Amino acid sequence: MSYIVPIGPYHPALEEPIHAKLYTEGEIIKDAEVFVGYNHRGIEKLATERNVIQTLVLVERVCGICSHSHALTYAMAVENINGIEVPKRGQYLRVITAELERLHSHLLWLGIACHIIGHDSMFMHIWDEREIIMDLLEKLSGNRVNYAMVTIGGARRDIDDGLKAEILAGLEKLKAPMDRIVEIALNDKTIALRTKGVGTLTTATALELGAIGPHARASGVDVDVRRDAPYSSYEDFDFNVPVVESGDVFARVVVRALECYESIKIIEQALNKMPAGPINLGNKLIKIKEGMSVALHEAPRGQLSHMVVGNGTLNNHRVSVHVPSYKNTPTIPYMLRNNAVADAGLIIASIDPCFSCLDR
Amino acid sequence: MQEYKVFQISKDEIVPLAERMKKNGVFLVMVHGFIDKEGRMDISYDYAVNPVIESYHVVGEMKVPSIGSIYATAAEWPERELNELYNVEFEGLDVSKRLFLPEDMLETQGKGQIMVTPLSELVEKNVK
Repeated sequence: MSYIVPIGPYHPALEEPIHAKLYTEGEIIKDAEVFVGYNHRGIEKLATERNVIQTLVLVERVCGICSHSHALTYAMAVENINGIEVPKRGQYLRVITAELERLHSHLLWLGIACHIIGHDSMFMHIWDEREIIMDLLEKLSGNRVNYAMVTIGGARRDIDDGLKAEILAGLEKLKAPMDRIVEIALNDKTIALRTKGVGTLTTATALELGAIGPHARASGVDVDVRRDAPYSSYEDFDFNVPVVESGDVFARVVVRALECYESIKIIEQALNKMPAGPINLGNKLIKIKEGMSVALHEAPRGQLSHMVVGNGTLNNHRVSVHVPSYKNTPTIPYMLRNNAVADAGLIIASIDPCFSCLDR
Repeated sequence: MQEYKVFQISKDEIVPLAERMKKNGVFLVMVHGFIDKEGRMDISYDYAVNPVIESYHVVGEMKVPSIGSIYATAAEWPERELNELYNVEFEGLDVSKRLFLPEDMLETQGKGQIMVTPLSELVEKNVK
């Protein structure tokens, strides 16, 4: 018997609105379509009537999870146009915030994935440990969601010796629970049964559709902006890019769990090698020169791009924001095919979608 | 700082360029668009030729070929978005369904209104 099963735009398994139509035969999904645009807020339009400081505030609110990523990428695009070289210490502070953001984002997703498959004790355990990172972000920036750490020409807050010790101690405290989380994620029978062989995206399809970020790396696509087109001093740090080839939901769990270790490694290196000097150039309100630029950043979900066009005034002529979910959401129908309807929520969530980001 | 290089191309070069990039394993970063200060449509095809971002611009064209057959959804989605926001026609692209803008808005106001109409006018229209 064939049915069309609608999911969303509002559904208990979805953190944000998306509408999917599942074309099923019995319990099996034969094809699917996804529809987005339920969170469209006209951010790009608003940005055309705002100056750089206002735009930093605006773009940080594109997403509650990767807020720093948006501010960082926008700032890099403006700095490219105006030829501003960010002081090394400012670049390191940006990297530390970006990697703390990746840690909290990946732990948030791992928790949600466990919640969706019904492993709620694991979900609560992961989110409990995630609080260590949230506390560090709060100590670093004063905020838990929108960190306001970026300004044009650098960072807004410095790290003194006391805070450096606190962050290093926090990361040390996280390591043992991370080992336990990874051990359970890799060996628990419940997680394996619900994730192995589910929602597979082959390397060929991932490449064909241009999937990016941990989602692509879980399908064997070795891509990471931090390594491939370094920015903000990422070339100073030694880190690995975990790549797994199986392409199923389990692979996405493994990649994100392993990336947490790499983020810890990068933050420790940044703190220990932090150069002395100014954290920013003291820029206040600047005019954006005539010209355009595109900046890329490896956000927690993958490559984030901001295009900025300046016309010599205080306001942006155009800001174009394109997020990882823009490339990864179209892969959902391919992953859903030949899977059970009961797994649809998990498969959609497995790309770590951010529809708030996507719709802007 | 990532290096960003700008190139001007004609609309006839869009497809051969995309084919060459795809063959070389280059990722399409995005297809962007904006109205320049002379009022012309500027469509840019940004490629991650690591570690450089190469940006190929087609200026003054409102009808260009789609590269959806080469870069699949990575190109189709931004092309559909540009169609909604600026009414750029991409030859060979299916635009029968909405992407971001609400259907009632597309029906009543048409495509290409959002990015070219001043915010104050859009607010006024919405209030009315």
